Amino acid sequence: MKLGNVKSLRKYSIPTLLSMGWLAIIGLIAVLYPLISSSDPKATYENDIAVGPFTNGHLFGTDTNGYDIFQELLHGTRLTLLVAVVAVGVGGAIGSLIGIFSGYVRGKIDAVVNVVFSAILSIPNLVLALGLVAVLATAPDVNSTVSSWRQVFVVVLSLTIVIIPILGRIARGATLSWSNREFVTAAKSMGAKNSTILWKHIVPNVLPAVMAIAFLAVGVVIVAEGSLSLLGVGIPDGNSWGAVLAAGRNDMEYTPHVMYFPIICIALTVISCNQIGDVIRQSLDKREARI
Amino acid sequence: MSNLPPMLSLRDFSVSFDTARGPLYAVRNVDIDVADGESLGIVGESGSGKTVLSRGAMGLLPKRVAHRSGTVVYDDHDLSQAPRKELREYWGTGMAMIFQDPMTALNPVRKIGSQLTEGLRIRLQMSKTDAAARGIELLNRVRIPDPAAVMEKYPFQLSGGMRQRVMIAIALACRPRLLFADEPTTALDVTVQAQVMQLLSELRHEMGMSMVIVTHDLGVVAGHTDRIAVMYAGEVVEIAPTKQLFANMQMPYTEALMKSIPRLDTPSGQRLPVISGRLPDPTQPETGCSFASRCPYVTDKCRAEAPPLVEVSPGHSYRCWFPIGGSR
Amino acid sequence: MAGSGKAHLRNSEEIILRVEDLTMEFPAGGKKFVRAVSGISFDIERGETLAIVGESGCGKSTLGKAILQLPKPTSGSVNFQGQELTTLNKDALRDIRPAMQMIFQDPVSSLDPRLSVAKIVDEPLKIWDRGDEMWRSNKVDELLNAVGLDPALVRDRRSYEFSGGQCQRISIARSLALEPLLLICDEPVSALDVSVQAQILNLLQDMKERYGLTLIFISHDLAVVKAVSTRIMVMYLGKVCEISAPDELYSRPRHHYTHALVSSVPIPDPNVAARRTTLEGEPPSPMDPPSGCRFRTRCPGATDLCAQEEPQLHEVSAGHYVACHWPRP
Repeated sequence: MKLGNVKSLRKYSIPTLLSMGWLAIIGLIAVLYPLISSSDPKATYENDIAVGPFTNGHLFGTDTNGYDIFQELLHGTRLTLLVAVVAVGVGGAIGSLIGIFSGYVRGKIDAVVNVVFSAILSIPNLVLALGLVAVLATAPDVNSTVSSWRQVFVVVLSLTIVIIPILGRIARGATLSWSNREFVTAAKSMGAKNSTILWKHIVPNVLPAVMAIAFLAVGVVIVAEGSLSLLGVGIPDGNSWGAVLAAGRNDMEYTPHVMYFPIICIALTVISCNQIGDVIRQSLDKREARI
Repeated sequence: MSNLPPMLSLRDFSVSFDTARGPLYAVRNVDIDVADGESLGIVGESGSGKTVLSRGAMGLLPKRVAHRSGTVVYDDHDLSQAPRKELREYWGTGMAMIFQDPMTALNPVRKIGSQLTEGLRIRLQMSKTDAAARGIELLNRVRIPDPAAVMEKYPFQLSGGMRQRVMIAIALACRPRLLFADEPTTALDVTVQAQVMQLLSELRHEMGMSMVIVTHDLGVVAGHTDRIAVMYAGEVVEIAPTKQLFANMQMPYTEALMKSIPRLDTPSGQRLPVISGRLPDPTQPETGCSFASRCPYVTDKCRAEAPPLVEVSPGHSYRCWFPIGGSR
Repeated sequence: MAGSGKAHLRNSEEIILRVEDLTMEFPAGGKKFVRAVSGISFDIERGETLAIVGESGCGKSTLGKAILQLPKPTSGSVNFQGQELTTLNKDALRDIRPAMQMIFQDPVSSLDPRLSVAKIVDEPLKIWDRGDEMWRSNKVDELLNAVGLDPALVRDRRSYEFSGGQCQRISIARSLALEPLLLICDEPVSALDVSVQAQILNLLQDMKERYGLTLIFISHDLAVVKAVSTRIMVMYLGKVCEISAPDELYSRPRHHYTHALVSSVPIPDPNVAARRTTLEGEPPSPMDPPSGCRFRTRCPGATDLCAQEEPQLHEVSAGHYVACHWPRP
């Protein structure tokens, strides 16, 4: 009955294995993209404009500009995952730091942090991201354009700010509950310093809970990034899945397949992340149930 | 006890669980009857199978991992193979259960009143006002002062003893004929424990219920049961009318359990008698007597051959090759 | 009840802990405060086992933690080996912690589920940087052996793989690692089976002799403390009711509350069990304690005097102190 660290994959269910597989595939694509594909995603196939899937070697077809959708999606994987991982990683780290600290010290600091988190969380994710992008990405001069790398940076920054209170609150809640355990009092009575207690007892117990939610947050970020693109303020020039989706929106009547494929990619990724997050949460619950 | 058919009758009742290390035999071949109006105590250590036995008898174990065998007859109805839907007919009105930890057994975000009247509204189809009136009456019955105010409170606003009274009131709401009490006082202070046991005894007489009290403490059930079954490693190792058991216990395990109770009349500063060792691994059933590895009187025969349940006097049976005898 | 007064404090060379007028308040919303411990005084001689007994909410656990300054008491004095703990600064207090250790009620919650048993027992040694790796590892084995666990079998396992009794043994091993003078045991057996309780109580007795400990043993169960204590202090709603040696206290409880506690202990004898008297009701809220004697609302012997005047602890026989206007005969 012991909760072993079984390395074998056999203990996972089929949906979980499929999710792991999908995430591994897109992860590899993102990392190895330059090795996988040598063709230019922005090459226009003048003879194959707006053809359907599986035509003339175009796996997912092309759009009205003659761009190959498969190539575009391969290329977009990198930025999509980069945005998601950076936003969740940085946002999660900052959120956890704030959450763990405020949950451990309690008192006035905690009250303020809690109010700020709640206030930010009360704004819907997308509205918040939209507002942040609008404020941060404004060109200083109406006539100059905002560079595309700056736009990417702004999207990442906005989504990071969206993530901070989501994961911060999870970290704070877990810290409140773990720091009430008697082993923390026991450590104090032994003369452990607060830094030791935080680092050795609180952080290792809080992090798994944050991890579980972080996977769900990756899904949230990918969807939010796609939505921003649809609204025209996301990653420009079809450089992410959301951007491909946004570009296809205009010709929805003629080339609906241009929208299907990015949607499928986004959906599979979000579902996989949720599945993995659930597995982590369940293994935590199982451990908790013994306590 | 009498010639009337028992209210609940378990025959050759076993429960096993699937675990990573193979089947875990939690309850093994238990025969127990609970007569109408009787109070039965089931006593044993953690892991003896006493809780699984009571939940299994009610059909409360998850079917996916728990395998039951043998028969469960409640009031002439065979429930051994009954589907959940049919069992539900008996829960609340026929059999009810109260649990060890009244804090986790109550929903923390719902008021006492709504949790208490839920069963009445669903099972007995009472109107809201009738159910509320009955709820107050039930709280009165379990001696809760100012019941109308308590109906509007949340579980965390009550003390442990009060919460356990509320649990009892909920269990009694649909007037069950058989009440299972699973460690009803273990989480409570000694003073409150005495009150709750007293209350359960009084309610049993008032309402003419049968009761099964599951506990690890022989002292708790001594004054509140008609019969006691002692469980060890999934088996009933001794069963007898309460007075008979205390006056004339046969099984060395019962004696060890009895001696380990801290008592006020032992002189202070003296070492307490303990049962050395621990329960055998429930995934590896022993060939001999299950208590052999911890028994002070063990012989080779005990290790080789499992003793059968033998009756020493009417209603008093035990499993031991070398019983202590009526020496006390 | 009551229990202010210091008539019971002793004047001896052997006193290692003296607590005077200790009060602990917690904010209870708004400007209100709950006084969990209300002006308690007591002392302990080296090698004694003082049992602190009372119902949930009487402040006994708060008192235990307040002695360790976890957190610091609201007012009053805690003198440990001639040092006043309440005025010590953080570093000085930290230096004194190894001499006072604590064992908690919930054996599972008091062990970090992520750490192996060896790491748990090693933790205090590591915090204080005692010895080198090798020495510490041997010390951990020695401690595990002392509490009756086989180091080879348990070292690398996690706390959730153990039963409550075994977890409590691990807890005890950890608390002994720094060789404390004073060990505070907060309900160490109330979460355990009766059959396991006796094992842990015996173990605590053995450890006390082997390591020369002085014990404070907090419990709600008079029967449990009987076997281990040399002196018993009964508490009710943050005050002291009665202090006495155990045999005297059980055979002749003078306070009405102590009497009720004694008679609510379950007796494993069906002939006696039915005739017990039980205490009615539950303790009033410590937010709004009764005037005068705090026990008067549940006391069979209460009079007008009890409502007006708080009884003081006074000696009724040698070493037996009670805070009651009308002590039982």
